[in-house]
Amino acid sequence: MSALTDPRGAVEDLTRPEGWVLGVSAAFLLFLLAALLTGALGPTYFLFLVGLAGMYALLSFGLNSQWGFAGLINFSVAAFFGVGAYGAALFTASGSPLVELFEGVPLLPSLLGLPIVGLVVGLAVAFVLAILIGIPTLRLRADYLAIASLGLAEVVRLIVLNERWLTNGSAGVRGIPGFFAGWPVLGTFPEAMPGLRLEVIPGSPVLLETAFWQALLNVLLVLAFAGGVYFVLRRAHRSPWGRVLRTIRSDEDLARALGKDTYSFKMQSFVLGSLIMALAGVFYTHLNLYVGPGDLDPITTFYAWVAVILGGSGSNRGALFGGIVIVTIREGTRFLNDVALPIDPAPLRLLLIGVVIIAVMRYRPQGVLPPQRELIWPSAVDGGGAPDSPDSGVREQKGGGGDE
Amino acid sequence: MSEGALAKQDPVLAVDDLQKSFGGLAATDHATFGVERGTITGLIGPNGAGKSTLFNLISGFYEPDGGTVEVNGTDVTGMEPYEVADYGLIRTFQTPRKLEGMTVREAMLVGPREQPGESFRRLFTSPGTVAESESANLAEAERILAEFEIDHLATQPATDISGGQMKLVELARAMLAEPEVLLLDEPVAGVNPTLAKKLKTQIRRLNEQGTTFLLIEHDMEFVMDLADPIVVLDQGHVLTEGTPEGVRNDDRVIDAYLGGGA
Amino acid sequence: MTVIGYLANGLVFSSIIVLGSIGLSLVYSIADFANFAHGDTMTIGAYASLVTFGAVGGLGGAVLGLPYGFFVALVVGIAAAAAVAVITERVIYEPLDVDSIGLLITSIGIAFVYRALIQIRFGSDFTRFDIQPLRPIEALVPYGVRVTLHDVAIVVSAAVLVVGLHVLLQYTDLGRKMRAMADNPDLARVSGIRTRRVKLWTWVIGAGLAGAGGVFLGLFNQLSPRMGFNLLLVIFAAVILGGIGSVYGAMAGGFLIGMINQLTPFFSDVVEALPIWPGWLARLLESLISIEYANAIAFVIMVAVLLVRPNGIAGEGAT
Repeated sequence: MSALTDPRGAVEDLTRPEGWVLGVSAAFLLFLLAALLTGALGPTYFLFLVGLAGMYALLSFGLNSQWGFAGLINFSVAAFFGVGAYGAALFTASGSPLVELFEGVPLLPSLLGLPIVGLVVGLAVAFVLAILIGIPTLRLRADYLAIASLGLAEVVRLIVLNERWLTNGSAGVRGIPGFFAGWPVLGTFPEAMPGLRLEVIPGSPVLLETAFWQALLNVLLVLAFAGGVYFVLRRAHRSPWGRVLRTIRSDEDLARALGKDTYSFKMQSFVLGSLIMALAGVFYTHLNLYVGPGDLDPITTFYAWVAVILGGSGSNRGALFGGIVIVTIREGTRFLNDVALPIDPAPLRLLLIGVVIIAVMRYRPQGVLPPQRELIWPSAVDGGGAPDSPDSGVREQKGGGGDE
Repeated sequence: MSEGALAKQDPVLAVDDLQKSFGGLAATDHATFGVERGTITGLIGPNGAGKSTLFNLISGFYEPDGGTVEVNGTDVTGMEPYEVADYGLIRTFQTPRKLEGMTVREAMLVGPREQPGESFRRLFTSPGTVAESESANLAEAERILAEFEIDHLATQPATDISGGQMKLVELARAMLAEPEVLLLDEPVAGVNPTLAKKLKTQIRRLNEQGTTFLLIEHDMEFVMDLADPIVVLDQGHVLTEGTPEGVRNDDRVIDAYLGGGA
Repeated sequence: MTVIGYLANGLVFSSIIVLGSIGLSLVYSIADFANFAHGDTMTIGAYASLVTFGAVGGLGGAVLGLPYGFFVALVVGIAAAAAVAVITERVIYEPLDVDSIGLLITSIGIAFVYRALIQIRFGSDFTRFDIQPLRPIEALVPYGVRVTLHDVAIVVSAAVLVVGLHVLLQYTDLGRKMRAMADNPDLARVSGIRTRRVKLWTWVIGAGLAGAGGVFLGLFNQLSPRMGFNLLLVIFAAVILGGIGSVYGAMAGGFLIGMINQLTPFFSDVVEALPIWPGWLARLLESLISIEYANAIAFVIMVAVLLVRPNGIAGEGAT
């Protein structure tokens, strides 16, 4: 009955924008495949990009569960991302200042070098930070959180930059292992795999070596992270919990009048989203193998914003689509600079982000892929034989782009 | 003078000496009254008499400067709206905002209180319980929609129905929260006469089934026909309370309306 | 430096923050949204005057160590910021069909477009006005005050602008209408005020003041495409401290935040001198109260205000 439970059957009743997005995505994939086969795009780099897209999708999932679900404006995505990234980096990197700090302290040194510890620490710090910023702002109007979170992002960036004893300051953290380092089988998988040489088009061979297998592992990791998060969010979104959040988003007073403790719900949504962002940071650390204060630049925050508002607030598939768009902006500007126009990619990205934000708010404030169908716990509707589920989307009935 | 809360036999809501001022201006000025269980009590008064402020104070949206509010004998003064709701007091709003992206029955499902599925943890630890209660709530929502004779709207987008229909849905949804006393803020403002009549029938029916009502309404004909007793508010304090007949013939009430009117 | 010296510096920086926060607060109360492009509006003013000054140059004599040409450039900077804001209002904000939160998000997009265009045109490096830096005023140096005539010019000009705004708000027809609109937009509309025009004037005034603040910031420090965005947090802190939507609150808040910002080194001296126990607390405070964290301190103040008095130090209790 819905595109979520029956993807094949749903292809026919795609809405216009859905078909459009599907078409563009497919064309883009074909383009990449062609680039791959001709050797214009190295397979390892391609997998890195896929990992990056997955990372941004994860980041967008996080923001979606705040802004999309409950209407919370979080402008410190980069801070929560950075906390996850630095947590993972500091606990695993060979060049981490923690190595020196923990020296001689009982027990602590044995925690270093374990990616799972880094993950837990990163998430824990994000959890505390989310609660600390939530307490003063979530009782107030939505714009207070926007302002305060912009400040939080700046403060976290300042701390990372200035507390050299902990973070290495502007030098960043190097010597980070892959996420699976030390695991049985997976830890040695990239080295154990034989180098492969493919030649689809004569004369331009494609080499698959250790780095490729390492990148492949990363892609699998981000697929696992994103898949898990998607599962959790999908269930949450269709539940009474998600329904209260959506009510808060439209009319918080109504939710309060109906006996919902909206402060608590907003806090849950905020913490959940922040944890997902930190998870994205953890993954990024093990993908990029280097973390620096530049990764905490506000631009990361607004990449996630573009992805979420473009995809459609509250729409998890939209966030997925948004992740792909971001990587296109990031890499496209780099490509343009290398190949065609010698324009500094930094302001160009800024310009693109700005223009996309304005254009979406102007022409499609509900996003390209807004959540379509009614969100009731699936078995509750199916249980009644689903005689009366709506024939068409909740939002799209007015024909494509009805502005709200 | 004050024949307020104490005079009631079994008050489900008792407001005592409630005060609230904004920037030095008293919006609620030592208001005292009670709502007897099982009644439909009307709350009227000229524009600016402080009816909406009083509603916000009772339901916990404003914090009073002084005085108390009791629901079912429990002091709820200064509590958050959701806590007040837990004691059985639910309110509606004058201009309900439409829940974007929801169907009517989805919007209805926000009504039931303490759903197991509202706990994030239980979505994953006991999905069976969540599904069960969701099915039950959905059935209940559809039953109430049918009672209200608007079941044909169930799967319509909430943004597509008329303002009057929205008021009906709001009333129906409030009933899902199983209130002991329901505060209605201008239930028929901007509603066409046919729907208004329907609303009146529904309120009366629900009242007969045991729900107590307190309603603000500007439509005199509507409120005089439906409510008894009627509390008259003027400049933030209770001017008088009585039967529709008594209020209609009270000179002070007529003065208040004439003096307060522009 | 002495306390008076820090206070003098604080006064100069406060003047800039006040100019920024007034505009933000005006737009907040009349256009009804938190304008995240306000900082970049300041940048526009600064760069417009940089270009103008480059063109007109010295131009005759000088006052307060600044050539006449600088004041021409200042006026152009103010005008450019105002013009860009008005065009943005007419082309972008006005046709939008979104609520105040939607406007807020749009304003982030606008901020990026402003900054990106400036960065594409002028590069991301720091630049300065081509004006000879001055030595501190000799007569004040014995008191530990090291301010230049330029600093005096900043404070005086800011004071003139603020007084001008006060007169406009209190004694002119436009000012009355603006206050009415800030109080209750619906009531203002039904009582016959042409709200669209008042809103446009609000943008002119708010962005104009921001432009002036940007020019002075460029003179006080230097210019870079991020200068305005970097200041945004401090300005928001000032506005929240003064109570969102209150122009006079924004003045007070801007003054306080600007002072605290420049007094940070003094505070850290104080902390060092105090016998704080235990030692780790002293070390923590010493490392946190330092010039690197001047912006973070503004943030902490802002959060504290939100916790205790969300409507600002002068506002009424909780929302």
